Amino acid sequence: MIMKGQKRKPPPEEVEVSDRSSPMWESQRQFVFSVSLNKYHHGQELPEPSLRRSVLIANTLRQVSLEAFAAPSVDMEMSPPPCSSSSALHESVVTAKQHPAETFSALVSCPTVTLNDLSYCVPASNAPLSLKDEDEDWGSMSMDSDFSLSAAISSILTALDSTIDSSSQAAPRTPLRSLENLSAPSDGGVAWVKQGLRGYGGGWEQQEEGRAWESSTELMRCSYLSELTVEDLFQDIDTSLLERDMEVLGLIGSGGGCLTGDDLLRYLPPFSSSPPSHPFSLSLNQNLKCLPSLSSFGPLSSSSSLPSLSSPHFSSQNHVREGLDLEHLMEILVES
Amino acid sequence: MGEDTDAPPTLNHRGFLPDHNYVTEADIISTVEFNHTGELLATGDKGGRVVIFQREPESKCEPFSQGEYNVYSTFQSHEPEFDYLKSLEIEEKINKIRWLPQQNAAHFLLSTNDKTIKLWKVSERDKRPEGYNLKDEEGRIKDLSTITSLQVPVLMPMDLMVEVSPRRVFANAHTYHVNSISVNSDYQTYMSADDLRINLWHLDITDRSFNIVDIKPANMEDLTEVITAAEFHPHHCNLFVYSSSKGTLRLCDMREAALCDKHSKLFEEPEDPSARSFFSEIISSVSDVKFSHSGRYLLTRDYLTAKVWDLNMESKPLETYQVHDYLRSKLCSLYENDCIFDKFECAWNGSDSVIMTGAYNNFFRMFDRNTKRDVTLEASRESSKPRAVLKPRRVCAAGGKRRKDDISVDSLDFTKKILHTAWHPTENIIAIAATNNLYIFQDKLNSELH
Repeated sequence: MIMKGQKRKPPPEEVEVSDRSSPMWESQRQFVFSVSLNKYHHGQELPEPSLRRSVLIANTLRQVSLEAFAAPSVDMEMSPPPCSSSSALHESVVTAKQHPAETFSALVSCPTVTLNDLSYCVPASNAPLSLKDEDEDWGSMSMDSDFSLSAAISSILTALDSTIDSSSQAAPRTPLRSLENLSAPSDGGVAWVKQGLRGYGGGWEQQEEGRAWESSTELMRCSYLSELTVEDLFQDIDTSLLERDMEVLGLIGSGGGCLTGDDLLRYLPPFSSSPPSHPFSLSLNQNLKCLPSLSSFGPLSSSSSLPSLSSPHFSSQNHVREGLDLEHLMEILVES
Repeated sequence: MGEDTDAPPTLNHRGFLPDHNYVTEADIISTVEFNHTGELLATGDKGGRVVIFQREPESKCEPFSQGEYNVYSTFQSHEPEFDYLKSLEIEEKINKIRWLPQQNAAHFLLSTNDKTIKLWKVSERDKRPEGYNLKDEEGRIKDLSTITSLQVPVLMPMDLMVEVSPRRVFANAHTYHVNSISVNSDYQTYMSADDLRINLWHLDITDRSFNIVDIKPANMEDLTEVITAAEFHPHHCNLFVYSSSKGTLRLCDMREAALCDKHSKLFEEPEDPSARSFFSEIISSVSDVKFSHSGRYLLTRDYLTAKVWDLNMESKPLETYQVHDYLRSKLCSLYENDCIFDKFECAWNGSDSVIMTGAYNNFFRMFDRNTKRDVTLEASRESSKPRAVLKPRRVCAAGGKRRKDDISVDSLDFTKKILHTAWHPTENIIAIAATNNLYIFQDKLNSELH
């Protein structure tokens, strides 16, 4: 019972298992989890993206991960505790950057996972991996018992790849990104922000962004920057000019903090699987692909003054977005 | 029931590539709709075209041969567009066609793609004026000196010409993809529904619409439910119903408030805990909702069942019909290949006694509500020759006892799906869209039934 032309994969359990204690239930749950995650990430690439489909997949993902919580005894067989699969889901979801609607605010309420937990849960990843090899290594990792977590992580990497990949950049379509161009000005502001951030792989909703980027940086740090800190990587960069810009953009303003490596990471496009060992040596072309939409912002609603928020997020950058000088930023990145 | 097992169906189909296995994507039929008298049948396809079929008058010589449907008009309704503001392509696929009740010689229909609804006027011209004073037969201006007398132009018969012209364009009101349109019984307004909002329009006013339902959450991360279909009540111009991806139906009364976010009635069947699976929500998503002609009942279709609801009973459906329950054990695979997201439509017959819906392998099902009998039929070239009688089909569960001509679940072709079906408003004539082919079946013993 396969679509024509598709290679037959090992068939899942055909019989729906309602009994939680059955071992088949767990394998089914994992199968559904991985398939859902895959669909979630690739929803953009469909010729006809459908909001209904995306919402249903997101709900299924949420349900599957919540059921993992509800059955911790079964999950104990796997090396990570149940929180890891949901935490991986949390990380992977917030880094998906495809659909703002599908960021799992429900999952955020699940026990948050610290960096320590995550590094514990991903034992094999402590060894520094070059970006070129990471896909193969993750592929082999999927064989071990940490199936769901590694599947989640590989999905994250796929998502990161796809955001920079030129082919997918051609026509990424999100029904959700087509936000109101007719409604109130405040919404229009959000719409502009969303469109501009397409270079980062999708739109963002307001409060999630800071958290999302933090999570993404945590994950990236854990997985292949374990020997480097972000500060190390950035110590060569002359951030004095960048600080001025970021202040203008409100990233520093009311937050009060000085520029940190995390802040810069929020600026930067996600990693690609480029051969150079230095993860930050992105090619100029890739940078241009990722950043140009920043300059496409127009004047936004003046009603949105810089709110005082602890975590900077893009939607507050409204009217000062036009102050961003793309070439100026490019110089800073290239210098590094 | 057995009407189609006894009747010779008339097969009319259009297949642009009859002997090829592949299908031109633009030819895939995306909607089918009879007009209010059943004389006209409109189909829309993925290429943005609308084809209207007209029923030929019954022939006097063969009293038992009903009129066949022939092509009446073809026009391009929607073109592909590009939204430069958001860098998004807007497909030209016709999502829905709805006819307006006929009020003069012309016919009007509404057709919609994902974003724009258009009102089209379909009129006939079979006479043209001849004998102009200033122009000759070819239209050239006459030399004034040659005109010696005045004549009155007269209307002379000509070959029938069907003219289709766009009368209204209702645009820029939907951020999300329009999935339904429904004409109100007041014949002045209609509604259009997208994934999160429903707008009310006046047929004569294109530059504004009223938003009557908005389920968009303040925070898009909280979005867990979308609107899947909507329809006005056939008689009460203040009532409409919309269905959701969570399997609920909401009946709203426009007299209660300007914004009908708060429903008057909520129709929802409580979930059976023993049947719960990972896909419970997905398969409960309602793909189509139709009021009965009487206005008393609602017909809904979700992935595995068709349900009839009584408007007076919100707690559970009146009747539940299993369309293809043999797929229940295959949901994992169907989820993987995306078939679980297919949106099947459903239809009532004229007397609300039989319901019909499509399935896979080009099968479609009919359920008689009175006799509780049901039948599975196939719409395909191989099994349907003109004037041939359709043979009932049977799907046997995997491993079950198999009779001759039965099809096993694992042999079903999931690329052949009957998503769009329509039933003539008064007679037993049905239109089935199978990918790029349209099948029209009629019942010979028309007058005896129902």
